[in-house]
Amino acid sequence: MIAAVAPETLRPTDLAEARDAMVDAGRGRSLVIRGAGTKATWGAPSKPALVVDTTALTGVVAHDPADATATVRAGTPLAELQGHLAEAGQWLAVDPPHPDATVGGTFAANDSGPRRQRYGTLRDLVIGVTLVTSDGAVARSGGNVIKNVAGYDLAKLLCGSLGTLGLVTEVTVRLHPLPQVRRTVTADVDADAATAVVLDLLASPLVISAVDWHANTLAVWLEGRPAGVADQTRALHELLTRHGATGADADDGDAVWDAMAAGHAGEDGDTVVRAATLPSDLPAAASAFQRCLTEAGAEGTLTSHVGLGLHTARLTGGDADSQGRFIAAWRSAVAAVGGHVVVRRRLPQLADTATIWGPDPSAVALMRSVKAQLDPDRRCAPGRYVGGI
Amino acid sequence: MGVEAVRAELVRTLPDDAIVTHPAQLRTYECDGLTGHPVVPALAVLPATAEQVAAVVRSCHRHGVPFVARGAGTGLSGGAQPHADGVLIVLARMRRILDIDVANQRVVVEPGVTNAEITRAVAAHHLYYAPDPSSQIVCTIGGNVAENAGGVHCLKYGFTTNHVLGLQLVTPTGAIVEVGGPVADTPGYDLRGVLVGSEGTLGIVTRITVRVCRTPQTAKTLVAYFDSPAHAGEAVAAITGEGIIPAGVEMMDNLAIRASEADAQVGLDIDAGAALLVEADGPAAEVDAEFDRVLALCRDAGATHIRVAADATERAQLWKARKAAFAAMGRLSPDYFVQDGVIPRTKLGEVLGRVAALSEETGFRVANVFHAGDGNLHPLVLYDASKGESEAAGEVAVRIVNMCVEAGGSITGEHGVGTDKACSMPKMFSEEDLAVMQRLRHALDPAGLCNPGKVFPTPRLCGERPGPYRPHPLEAAGLAERL
Repeated sequence: MIAAVAPETLRPTDLAEARDAMVDAGRGRSLVIRGAGTKATWGAPSKPALVVDTTALTGVVAHDPADATATVRAGTPLAELQGHLAEAGQWLAVDPPHPDATVGGTFAANDSGPRRQRYGTLRDLVIGVTLVTSDGAVARSGGNVIKNVAGYDLAKLLCGSLGTLGLVTEVTVRLHPLPQVRRTVTADVDADAATAVVLDLLASPLVISAVDWHANTLAVWLEGRPAGVADQTRALHELLTRHGATGADADDGDAVWDAMAAGHAGEDGDTVVRAATLPSDLPAAASAFQRCLTEAGAEGTLTSHVGLGLHTARLTGGDADSQGRFIAAWRSAVAAVGGHVVVRRRLPQLADTATIWGPDPSAVALMRSVKAQLDPDRRCAPGRYVGGI
Repeated sequence: MGVEAVRAELVRTLPDDAIVTHPAQLRTYECDGLTGHPVVPALAVLPATAEQVAAVVRSCHRHGVPFVARGAGTGLSGGAQPHADGVLIVLARMRRILDIDVANQRVVVEPGVTNAEITRAVAAHHLYYAPDPSSQIVCTIGGNVAENAGGVHCLKYGFTTNHVLGLQLVTPTGAIVEVGGPVADTPGYDLRGVLVGSEGTLGIVTRITVRVCRTPQTAKTLVAYFDSPAHAGEAVAAITGEGIIPAGVEMMDNLAIRASEADAQVGLDIDAGAALLVEADGPAAEVDAEFDRVLALCRDAGATHIRVAADATERAQLWKARKAAFAAMGRLSPDYFVQDGVIPRTKLGEVLGRVAALSEETGFRVANVFHAGDGNLHPLVLYDASKGESEAAGEVAVRIVNMCVEAGGSITGEHGVGTDKACSMPKMFSEEDLAVMQRLRHALDPAGLCNPGKVFPTPRLCGERPGPYRPHPLEAAGLAERL
């Protein structure tokens, strides 16, 4: 039996109940899948008749430290999983700015944090997935081993699909060892100098774990063995000096990274807009950000994963009209350098597909076709995704 | 007939020398690296542009003719095996490097460019393309994309799917679309991730954007010798168990050592029971510390002696010996099957023991060369076709891959399913798993013309009809068994 927490919320506790919830006895009601709800505003609003709540699908099903793999149910809080893995000196190498998020929600949104620079996102770390479609198919792809090319990689398709293709009930992930030590080095630099430093850093033999820029502060995260980190820290200071900047050390740098995370995540009531460009185009994105903000009469901050070319505008002031003008203007400026802009959080008035997702991608017809095959009755979060999918 | 109609259309759109119809010329395309089941295509074409590829595909689609893409033909699973009534689309003429963005570490290439050419094109900037299949000197990036190619260094640096950023795709109905791109997080479903490793069944890639990596500051390599593969396996478990992710961990058993040494002559110890080749790379101080630990762990696991490469030349020699292992088998046996199973790393000793027992039971010698760090086994089953041993040896190879699946692994780590292992797919996946994958295939290739007969089991190949899609039975036992 499925416990009905609220009239339209189903909270399955195992795979069989999850399948029942998705099929909804063939009643044809539309649904959204919800974990901790930290990214419920991502995508365009969908008005479902049903919420499939994953927060009772929890637990680490398997963790083999020697194989460095784990299988975990989707509703497990990411922090809880990390706590479990840390006991074996391991972690799932993803650090999104939403600490309360579930593993499944982080996967469905392909959310990530600064150390994506080194480890990639869950897209790169999930090696197996269990999917329940809205017509009741239960399918696995991938497996339990880190190297495997048998069959289609459904995990890639589902990662970032925002629950529009079905419910992921379980993932198997590749794990990494916890680094022995870490160090944060910061420097005060503007966007132009930050870009020059980071491109130089990427061209150097240094192996960095993260590099973010916010409010004219550049922060670099180094981790590894003590001797290696000490050596890399020296090399990083030399590199900064060559650029006329002065580096400051912090053993962990939690405060710096918390500020960066806040810039990327935003809070309720904020509008959060994510732009992507080539790493070398931070100056273009940053100068357009300031200009568009001023012209639109909005207020906000910019935080960038510089090495990845991912820039987050967090708007904390201005009405929906001014924010809408900012989004349109910044999108056009970013597109001019080959990038794109997607809205994450938003004021309720900023709800249409074009504002949130921008122009349809080149392959939108294929995406519609994939949606039609896997969710033939369009029951999973209709209208939430790109192109009104 | 369909192919004739396609040919008649293409002579008007493609240059004369881009259409191959002469039987002798067609025969040169009768197989890829899987040579046992040659099939001569009805027609082969050599387009030079994405537009020409699209014209061929549209024509095939219009006339209901199957088509198969081919790069260098080095694949080992039959992914580029032609269709007897279809068109083979050979991408060998699309071999331009279109753009090199040194600052952003991205390179844009056509599918016929070889894997090694990408590295050569950026080496002067201290950059390289990380995935390094053993065939990298000849295999093409288009084929790497189709197969999600791996290689020696993918344990640390990832597979093709982690290094391909964007693709231009000719869809199975002949449209040209862009998927992903040089900029991260392109809005929409990650079709790039679906296409990489789809073995040419979801379209033909005509342009590829890859990321290239900074060459490591230092690399150190050692060969540790052990009495037996089981002891070497313990060293691997100790290394990974301590949280070390080396750039590469390769194991060879005695047969493989003998064959490689005979071929490469680099001074390997041909009396050792097993050799472990371990490489650490990265920032110098990090590598020094890591390498010292690897040395200690190998000694603790019972290494009889350890040879540390003194310089880059010696490192290159050791890798040459490893990469020559397959080809060197010709010295030991007239014929061999290369297997490509994967097991959890912790099952290494157990599975190697079972393989040895199987070898004893059947009388076929099995040499082991493999990527120990990620559990990807390449047992080589040695046989003599002239003595009529092919079928029995093939059976041994299948039994080895079954052992891998039973140990919780996979039927293929990097060679792909193709035609070779399509019939083994039901060992790993349920009917329903395969049915959902087929729905995805149908979304991109509604007419079923794009490299048909690959990846999925078919009645023709496997002699049994795969079940149609059915809703899952609700029995908890059924669910439990599968998951």
